[in-house]
Amino acid sequence: MTAPAPPTGGAVPPPLRLVGVSKWFGDVVAVSDVSCTIGPGVTALLGPNGAGKSTVLRLLCGLTPPSRGEVQIFGADPRADLGLFGLLGLVPQQESVFESQRALEFVRLAAVLQGVEQADAAARRALAVVDLDPALRRRVGTFSKGMRQRVKVAAALVHDPAIVVLDEPLTGLDPRQRLAMIALLQRLGREGRCVLASSHVLDEVERFGSRVLVIARGRLVAEGDFHAIRALMDDRPHRIRVRTDDPRAVATGLLAAGAAVGVRLDGGAVVVDTDDVTAFRRAVAPVARAAGARLEEVAPLDDDLESVFRYLVGER
Amino acid sequence: MSETEPGAPTALPPATPRVRSLSVLPAIYRLLLATQVTLTRLLALGALGLTAMVVGWAIGQSDPADPVATAARFVNAFGLSLTVPVTALVFASAALGDLTDDRTLVYLWLRPVRRATVVVAAFAAAVTVTVPLVVVPLVVAAALAGGGDEVVRGTALAATVGTVAYAGIFTALGLRVRRALVWGLLYVFIWEGFVARGGDNAARLAVRSVTATILGAASGVDLRLAVLSTRTAYVAPFVVALVALAYASWRLDRQDVD
Repeated sequence: MTAPAPPTGGAVPPPLRLVGVSKWFGDVVAVSDVSCTIGPGVTALLGPNGAGKSTVLRLLCGLTPPSRGEVQIFGADPRADLGLFGLLGLVPQQESVFESQRALEFVRLAAVLQGVEQADAAARRALAVVDLDPALRRRVGTFSKGMRQRVKVAAALVHDPAIVVLDEPLTGLDPRQRLAMIALLQRLGREGRCVLASSHVLDEVERFGSRVLVIARGRLVAEGDFHAIRALMDDRPHRIRVRTDDPRAVATGLLAAGAAVGVRLDGGAVVVDTDDVTAFRRAVAPVARAAGARLEEVAPLDDDLESVFRYLVGER
Repeated sequence: MSETEPGAPTALPPATPRVRSLSVLPAIYRLLLATQVTLTRLLALGALGLTAMVVGWAIGQSDPADPVATAARFVNAFGLSLTVPVTALVFASAALGDLTDDRTLVYLWLRPVRRATVVVAAFAAAVTVTVPLVVVPLVVAAALAGGGDEVVRGTALAATVGTVAYAGIFTALGLRVRRALVWGLLYVFIWEGFVARGGDNAARLAVRSVTATILGAASGVDLRLAVLSTRTAYVAPFVVALVALAYASWRLDRQDVD
């Protein structure tokens, strides 16, 4: 596959852009006043389930019009110019495909509908990219979740699009396939394509690339370099449960070591509040050892994405 | 507005023109034909056609006083009022409605293909599967009922023309509403089966008046709801289908796609 054509001079509008976009369905606000520009390379759209990620992706692809604001693909409205869909490859979240087709038929249809010459050859190449055998006789309807996902990716890439949008692309993939998919996304990004992939799993996003948009409750709550956002997430106050045979001594030791800003005894455990999780991690074992206590469990109570996002939107 | 360090794009990809309709129409048509035709639908609607043939045979065996009029009235009451609209409804409403329901429409929608191309392919697929399922059994039923050449010819014409109109309407309906089958059945049974009988003006707004007029003109039998001129009966269904398909294209263009 090749990158998009060379520059033709003049200011080039960004591949994807949202300007003050809101979307509501009846009384439900799905996306609220989101503005962002997404350029070449891999960008991850991170957010918990129900945050509005899929709606943002649908807006960007023109699948649904904004209730307010503007959506642009290379500066143009995707719902006003059908030709823009030739620049776009979408891997939707839903598993559904044309069940009675074979993988090659499904991808070849995508190629034909994109006006690809030699659609059959293009479909075979795209299937090879996702490590699927074009000669596979099984119907797509009998495929596993991971195989369907790969077929959808092949169909999205078959026309060599400049923009690739993937909604939860790692869903259903086994660890080896995940690695392959991440490598593929990174390669597409290096080729100069605009790759936007959504996920609700923080560790997945870390491997997608360095640029991240964080969305929660329909609002864009953070954006930029992944490591900066990760640090922001790690720097927030944390609540950690420490199970030990002597919770009182450990609690006292952690407070004395400055590794906790608050402690609460909860049966055979200490619930620790800390605003420096790194310092806590360093201190907890020595403190327990010094107190003669045995550590049984150290578990974060609010490390799930929901609490991270609640923190980011200021609703701790 | 904020930026995500996008790295300024250095290249504007080549403009992608819309794909030529004629080059993609066959592919979409084949796909939609395959998605519409399920064994369950074929068996259910085949049974409807079989019923028509059995009843037609029974009428023929009963040696009616006026076999032509009896056959024409049977075809009008059962075939053109039930078999044709219901079969067209099942397939035409599914042509795009199934894709909306199972969320596969996105694979056709997000392409540089004119919406009208998709709609025409859906309509053509619905007509392709409906015509043999209604025309063959109804023609056989008309013949078995002793209708003679006039009723047989009128049945073939009326069923075909009626299918065109119903398929246009129900293709659009399948795109417009969820549970199009229910709404379609309400139209067939409440409007066409009940309201249209209230007067000539109401009858003119029913496709059934088209099919009744064509069958009545061919057979020379005075049929209920045959209130149109013959010319209107042949032209109106195509106009109706065209308007319905234009609406469906417009609707598809503005569709919210999952």
